[in-house]
Amino acid sequence: MSKHQYAMVMDLNKCLGCQTCTIACKKLWTDRDGTGYMYWNNVETRPGMGYPRQWDRIGGGWKNGQLQPSPLPTMDDYGHAWEFNYEQRLYEGKKKPVMPSPAPTSGVNWDEDVGGMNGEENYYFYLPRICNHCTYPACLEACPRKAIYKRDEDGIVVLDQERCQGYRYCIKACPYKKIYYNEVAGKSEKCIFCYPRLEKGEVNACVAQCPGRLRFVGLLDDPESPVHKLVLVHRAALPLFPERGTQPNVFYVPPFNPPKRGNYDKSILEDSRLPLDYLIYLFGSEVRDVITRLEAELKAAQRGGRSELLQLLIGRDAATRYRIHPELVQIKL
Amino acid sequence: MRTNRVTLLLVVVLVTSTIASAQASKAPAGQTLNTTSLSAAADVLLNGSAVWDQVPAHRISLNRTPPLYDTDEPASLEIPVLDVRVVRASGKVLVQMSWADPTHDSASLPEVPNTPPETRFLKLPTEADDRFFDAAAVMLPTKPRAVTPSLQMGDTDDPVRIYYWNAARGPMLMEAAGRGTTRRTGASFAAHAAHEKGRWTVAFALPDLPAGTPLAFALWNGSQKDRDGRKYFSVWQALQ
Repeated sequence: MSKHQYAMVMDLNKCLGCQTCTIACKKLWTDRDGTGYMYWNNVETRPGMGYPRQWDRIGGGWKNGQLQPSPLPTMDDYGHAWEFNYEQRLYEGKKKPVMPSPAPTSGVNWDEDVGGMNGEENYYFYLPRICNHCTYPACLEACPRKAIYKRDEDGIVVLDQERCQGYRYCIKACPYKKIYYNEVAGKSEKCIFCYPRLEKGEVNACVAQCPGRLRFVGLLDDPESPVHKLVLVHRAALPLFPERGTQPNVFYVPPFNPPKRGNYDKSILEDSRLPLDYLIYLFGSEVRDVITRLEAELKAAQRGGRSELLQLLIGRDAATRYRIHPELVQIKL
Repeated sequence: MRTNRVTLLLVVVLVTSTIASAQASKAPAGQTLNTTSLSAAADVLLNGSAVWDQVPAHRISLNRTPPLYDTDEPASLEIPVLDVRVVRASGKVLVQMSWADPTHDSASLPEVPNTPPETRFLKLPTEADDRFFDAAAVMLPTKPRAVTPSLQMGDTDDPVRIYYWNAARGPMLMEAAGRGTTRRTGASFAAHAAHEKGRWTVAFALPDLPAGTPLAFALWNGSQKDRDGRKYFSVWQALQ
């Protein structure tokens, strides 16, 4: 257990699936040899295949104190990083159309906006994902090299590139498949929660760039932080797949779309636009209580009252959304 | 109470002696590796020469490490037999290992250009994330001692040097002082490998080693996801 724990809350009601967070992360951290296919931050359409494909169904995590088996996803599951033949088209004068190569067969949000059917109506929402910086990381336990550690000062889970030998037990163990193998380097790598930015008082790149302003960052144990308030005071945010036993520190405000057309008087749970079963699959049965709480706050605000929770979720300014502690840095250069 | 103390003492003695016998043995338990002295140049021999056929082979039986993790798939392939030939030439000890491996798990990984990636528009791709490569290694004590180090990558007091070759990444010199401490030194060594007719033949050029130096061997088969301690290994053999 670390002394403090950075956490992130993402409000799924505000995510527009624009992938700006994905690109912010990619340009900053994974624009190197061997990293073309990997997205430490990705946004996927739910319900859907996810990235890598079927990551939520192949295993990993804990059960009764034991690590659970899982295969390694393949490059077909992630989607190969394709390049375009600009050279041929623009410089060599070949009259070929600009085409990607290898031919794309899968990608980071391949089934974008496909979603599922709820009765006769289509539904979907976006699920942004980063490493969950779990309290009990399965990846850390699985590594025989002890290359993965949880920073004592802030709970960020990092992978020591000097110690890693590329065995990939961590990738198998992670139930969220948020560690990636760089074959060029022969080592695995993962989201570092932008700790170099936090140490300078800057918020994570994915958070800073989010146009929907749906991400909240702070210490879970800091009573003044928005994540503390959202997760522990208002209890409006839940971790993904809590039953996998790793105790994630990324939390989601579940989507609570209004009831279907023509059912204005009904509650969300009575006539859910998104099937409740699917939300329970993702966030556990507590999602029912969270949605009930959120709906009550919404109704109170609609009646002219003031909801501290909704004001917080609107997140008008940076001071509301983030509370960074650069003083936690233990190693000063 | 007294009985409990005696029992405890016995357990401590038993555990200590078991650990001691597992970690250090007075003499290598394997066979003696006779060497052949040749006048040919080491690099000529290393790169494959008919002369090797004249050198007697030592047939070394290998063991399979027990399953290390509950979540790992069991190893299913037959345990290979390792043929080792040792030659002294040009002040080097050349060790040739040969074993049957019908699955050729290798790849030509792209060479990383000298220019930093941020100056290049195109970056090298990861071709596959779920493949593992065949590999072989020779382990020997870093310093001469009366006891041999633990087979599990040496001990704190008895570190080991590991000459490791990977079918895709080539040779690399590693060091270790106990299980889980293996690290790349950044140094390399001369090695030559060929896979023909379902057999690997891999030769290493080791520095000149005194007679009696213990050597241990290990093989990895990429097809069954061997890496780390998932491998075949020999007990210590004494070089002559």
